[in-house]
Amino acid sequence: MEHVSRRRFLTTATGLAGILAAGVSPARGQQRQVSYLCWNNFAPASDKKLAEIGQRFAKDTGIKLKIDHIAAPQQAAKYASEVQTQAGHDVVEMRMHFPWLYEPQLVDVSDLVAEMEKKYGAVIPSARETANVKGVWRAVPQYHAFFVAAYREDLFKKASLKTPDTWEDLYAVGKELKKMGHPIGIPISQNYDSISTAGPVLWAFGGMEVDKDGKTVRINSPATEQMVEWYRKIYRDCMEPEVLSWTDASNNESLQQGKAGWIHNPVSAYIVARNNKLPTADGINHHKSLAGQNGQRHETDAPRHIGIWKFSKNIEPSKEWIRYLLGKREVYDEYIMSGDAFNLPVYANLQDHPVLKTDPKFAALKQEGVQFHCYGWPAPASDKVQLITNSFILPNMLAKAVTGTSTKEVVAWADGEMKKIIAE
Amino acid sequence: MAIGGVRAVAAQAPASIRARLSVLLDRDRVLGPLFVSPALFLLLLLVAYPFCMAMYFSVSNAFIGRPSHLVGFVNFINLWKSDAFRQTFQNAFVFTGAAVACKIVLGLSLALLLNEQLWWKRAIRGAVLLPWVIPTALSTLGWWWMFNSLYSVVNWTGIAMGLMDPPGPNWLGQKYYAMTAVVLVNIWRGLPFFAITILAGLVAIPKELYEAAHADGAGTVARFWYVTLPLLKPVLAIVVLFSTIFTFSEFNIVFVLTHGGPVNSTHLFATLARQIGLESGRIGEGAAISLYLFPVLALVVYAQLRFVRKEVY
Repeated sequence: MEHVSRRRFLTTATGLAGILAAGVSPARGQQRQVSYLCWNNFAPASDKKLAEIGQRFAKDTGIKLKIDHIAAPQQAAKYASEVQTQAGHDVVEMRMHFPWLYEPQLVDVSDLVAEMEKKYGAVIPSARETANVKGVWRAVPQYHAFFVAAYREDLFKKASLKTPDTWEDLYAVGKELKKMGHPIGIPISQNYDSISTAGPVLWAFGGMEVDKDGKTVRINSPATEQMVEWYRKIYRDCMEPEVLSWTDASNNESLQQGKAGWIHNPVSAYIVARNNKLPTADGINHHKSLAGQNGQRHETDAPRHIGIWKFSKNIEPSKEWIRYLLGKREVYDEYIMSGDAFNLPVYANLQDHPVLKTDPKFAALKQEGVQFHCYGWPAPASDKVQLITNSFILPNMLAKAVTGTSTKEVVAWADGEMKKIIAE
Repeated sequence: MAIGGVRAVAAQAPASIRARLSVLLDRDRVLGPLFVSPALFLLLLLVAYPFCMAMYFSVSNAFIGRPSHLVGFVNFINLWKSDAFRQTFQNAFVFTGAAVACKIVLGLSLALLLNEQLWWKRAIRGAVLLPWVIPTALSTLGWWWMFNSLYSVVNWTGIAMGLMDPPGPNWLGQKYYAMTAVVLVNIWRGLPFFAITILAGLVAIPKELYEAAHADGAGTVARFWYVTLPLLKPVLAIVVLFSTIFTFSEFNIVFVLTHGGPVNSTHLFATLARQIGLESGRIGEGAAISLYLFPVLALVVYAQLRFVRKEVY
């Protein structure tokens, strides 16, 4: 064993004690690094591309990048533990109203968003609603995946059915589809896809859950009653009871496996069918979002953003990573292209993105005249709106209605549940 | 002389420390706590600390990443106003009652069967443990496929055998079926724990008692009723106690199979606590949901442990 002199021992021990006390490693030889936590993208090629871009970023900037992925249902628990322990990743992917929930823990990234808007135009409304918290950008809008109408074009042609233009048209078409053994597939269960359809239907009938002030519950209205009645008849005549047990993936599977004739979902259902060469892929297509009685077309949008934790010790390198991924046009384009039209740009000037021309079946994704909003609109995003969403009040109201409870009763129940949350 | 005496004491000093340490370690009052202290430290770190934190959260308005302050029992009172919570409260008792009752009856039957001279006895005993050994989330995913509306092998078999009318029961979409499904999976998962533990109790019963009962003319039922059951009581009490606690705090099965639906009809305390505490950031309310039954369960534990002590001693 090498002899350690008293002087050397004391020098090492004092140095170590200093590092432990300061909690910071010595600058000499220290490499700048960033850790990034994001979800397992429903378009897996996008994750591969992200890793590739990450390697180039490390090479170009000398900043080491560590990318970790996590399944979407585990995100909330993981983020909560990172915030509570004030330790974990530097950069995190944010979905739904996350920037509002974690507002005090997120770095102000308004400077980064300003740079992006200068290059690509204004951030689209749904991304602004969710990432801009009380005038401050708490996360940088990254991409969005919105809902569209996905249908079996081959079945429609076979039965000489016209693609529906309104939710009422869908009811007429749905009756025929069910008779053909290909029912409509709209989930009415405790998952986010259920809310993603219930929201646009409610908005198209002129209803809302909570008003713009974020305080007044408006669910108890004639518009909601009309919407409930629409759901009641479409469930009875155009769907099967299985929709009451569906998960977020069930409608995709039903369309891909050849059962459902029409579903409301992002393009992922088609992309998976096409990439896996399923027999149904050729017959699937998309059409424009449906209009309500007021002529308005709405869609649920779930934009994703990138935020930086305040407890991060690598805020500047983190910003460099975001600039590299989103701020360089060629890199951002490359990233968007890898998502196969599932991850679309969230900036106004990029809406007619080349990715939409990679497959003729993406043509309907241009969606001019359709309004995109996140859950709970028109109420501003908040922890209370998020709790209303997470409590699945809207789909539970509909599930109660379609299984026999009266419309008045279910609307009053939803009203009571929402008011309790808002009042707390 | 004096100098020599000092030298002698100095030379003996290390030996005397060792001797004193040896004497000290010979005392039960010192050695016992010393051996227990690592386990105690781990318990304090991994059980007591999180428990105390949960207690604090439950009486505070804690929200993820924001400063919080004490609010007393407001969370517990407000929860009772929520329809979802009241439904969860009811579900927890129905789920636990049905699952534990079935596990007692089936576990006892399985243990009695395993106690018989069977071929491949060891292999069968090993196989019985499988549901308990496989990670719950993984095995529940298998069940989810079996109950899935599109691919349900249960319905497919039932329809093929003429036992069900197509399309078969909507297992996870109708509240009574959904509760049946989650109870069924819990029984499947928990049965080995009952069977193997009861089997250990059965093996420990002296054969002489059965021989004596047989000599006195006792039949199979009488031997079970007057010999087996009374001697199994302490084991049964412990198994029921543990199972009741585990079943009340079940999470994986419900989360994977139904996510608490349809219309909250299968939510349990753990799944609702996750929904409110983690997904919506309301840690205070989430902790209150988790701890709602703590006083009741603590009483159950106390009563059952008292019963066990009375039976054993």
